[in-house]
Amino acid sequence: MTKPRVGFYDLTGCQGCLLSVIFNEDEILNIINAVDIKEFRFIMGEKYDGELDICFIEGGVVSNDDMDVVKKLRERSKIVIALGTCACEGNIQAMRKFHDKKDIEPLTYKKNHQNDDIDEARAIDEVIEVEYKIPGCPPDREEIKEFIKQVLIGKKWHDYKDPVCIECKLRENSCLLDKDVICLGPIIKGGCKAVCTTNGLKCYGCRGLTDDANFEEYFKMMKEKGFRMDEVKKIMDTFMARRVEKALKGK
Amino acid sequence: MRRRDVVAPVKTDKSRFQRIENPDDIWLDENTDFPIKKFFFSNREVLFEFSGNKVKNPSLELKDTVYFGVRRCDLNGIMHQDMVFLDDNPDPFYKARRDNSILFGLHCKEGDEYCFCNSVGLKDFFDLMMYDKGNHYLIESGTEKGLVFLDEFKKFFEETAEMISDNDRKIKNNKKLSTTNIKYMYGNESWEDLAKTCLSCGACNLLCPNCHCFTIQDEIDFDLKSGRRVRVPAACQSKGFTRVAGDHIFRETRVSRFKHRIYHQIQYFKERHNEIFCTGCGRCIRGCPVRIDWVKKINEIKDGN
Repeated sequence: MTKPRVGFYDLTGCQGCLLSVIFNEDEILNIINAVDIKEFRFIMGEKYDGELDICFIEGGVVSNDDMDVVKKLRERSKIVIALGTCACEGNIQAMRKFHDKKDIEPLTYKKNHQNDDIDEARAIDEVIEVEYKIPGCPPDREEIKEFIKQVLIGKKWHDYKDPVCIECKLRENSCLLDKDVICLGPIIKGGCKAVCTTNGLKCYGCRGLTDDANFEEYFKMMKEKGFRMDEVKKIMDTFMARRVEKALKGK
Repeated sequence: MRRRDVVAPVKTDKSRFQRIENPDDIWLDENTDFPIKKFFFSNREVLFEFSGNKVKNPSLELKDTVYFGVRRCDLNGIMHQDMVFLDDNPDPFYKARRDNSILFGLHCKEGDEYCFCNSVGLKDFFDLMMYDKGNHYLIESGTEKGLVFLDEFKKFFEETAEMISDNDRKIKNNKKLSTTNIKYMYGNESWEDLAKTCLSCGACNLLCPNCHCFTIQDEIDFDLKSGRRVRVPAACQSKGFTRVAGDHIFRETRVSRFKHRIYHQIQYFKERHNEIFCTGCGRCIRGCPVRIDWVKKINEIKDGN
């Protein structure tokens, strides 16, 4: 069996998703042996511009450069995976749409973005077609590993779509909503093994909204529990400003 | 040498069943926030391991375990899971855990604001049951297994002529489900009003001592030849629960999923096994982020409101 040609690339993001791949310390050698890694700037110097069987892309599309890179990667890849929340949802960068440009500008790295700014930050599936998404900020390293193995045996990957509450209840956590904490768990996709809520941190929604997130009732419930709506909205906007805006518009 | 493990309620921020080392950790004041089912219907069951064409069954050598301080609602939950997992084709994993168990119950005197066990006709189901008499407990045995256990540990028990009275057997419920005849209510439009407030988070499924639906996943190792098949609990309130090949979803709408849960609890299980599935513990209402009170809804429909 010829090994699939794999590349790991990044657009605008923190590179934490690529680090999550490497954080599979125990099995990183297995990953390297199972596939033919053509480019992965964290572990090798070589560049590659040929055809790819599997192309992981982390980061969001926030500049014309990103736009070019992601389109070219699409052209030469059979399977594209949006890796992490920037690539899947737009993430923190997407918030800039909702703020004044002059407030945001001082916060950006000048040398990276001189004349190539585009109007807003996008998830990569808003620019190109992607076969799979592995969300999370950062994505779960176990999930990346499982994904690679499933693709290697030619199986279709089903991403985890159930709400965070399910895994959270399996771990017998006390509900943060009952402790006056704004937790997005009920409307957010799990698959994270409820790692934040298990450690007492609220769910910020890094893995994105569930297919049938019940906004109306979630907001109503939060209001009844005495939370401030602007606070709730702010937390929702952290990772999913774009999706939330779209979902609310649809209502 | 310690001959048995003991699982009992422990209270920290919430109350849960845990394997205990120290009897001082046992907490019996109220029913636990989480049910006992994970000890029998596991959160992660490795069904078998494979390597190429070879299949290896996991070893089922389990330590005998005493499940102590289990309330009537959770005990009936175990009885219902027995009906499912120990029928003509018993599940070896569930059976092994049950074979190694002593169910040592504690009778409630009074329910909390959410539970309603008197409304669902619970049965006596235990190896041993404790009745709190203030300065002592009366113990009743329900099985041969229970009697043998009492005999083995007789230094902890005293024989008595004192009888367990009808009053001892009573549980005062504050909440009531006024009917379990709900078949005719299925088409009632007011279900929709309640179902639309549901966040479909699945907390009710996981907190229920009866719910036992599961999904099965294959995990593979990097040699791409070996791996294992794993069973994990699933929740019928999530949209993906009824997803089948071709990505078709049978219960697409929130209300259809919502009604399915209530009807499985009160109607469908009864049709098949002659027992009401729901054991009235009330955890699905107490643990619901929106506190959806389906018991109240059934009462309202019955009263024609």
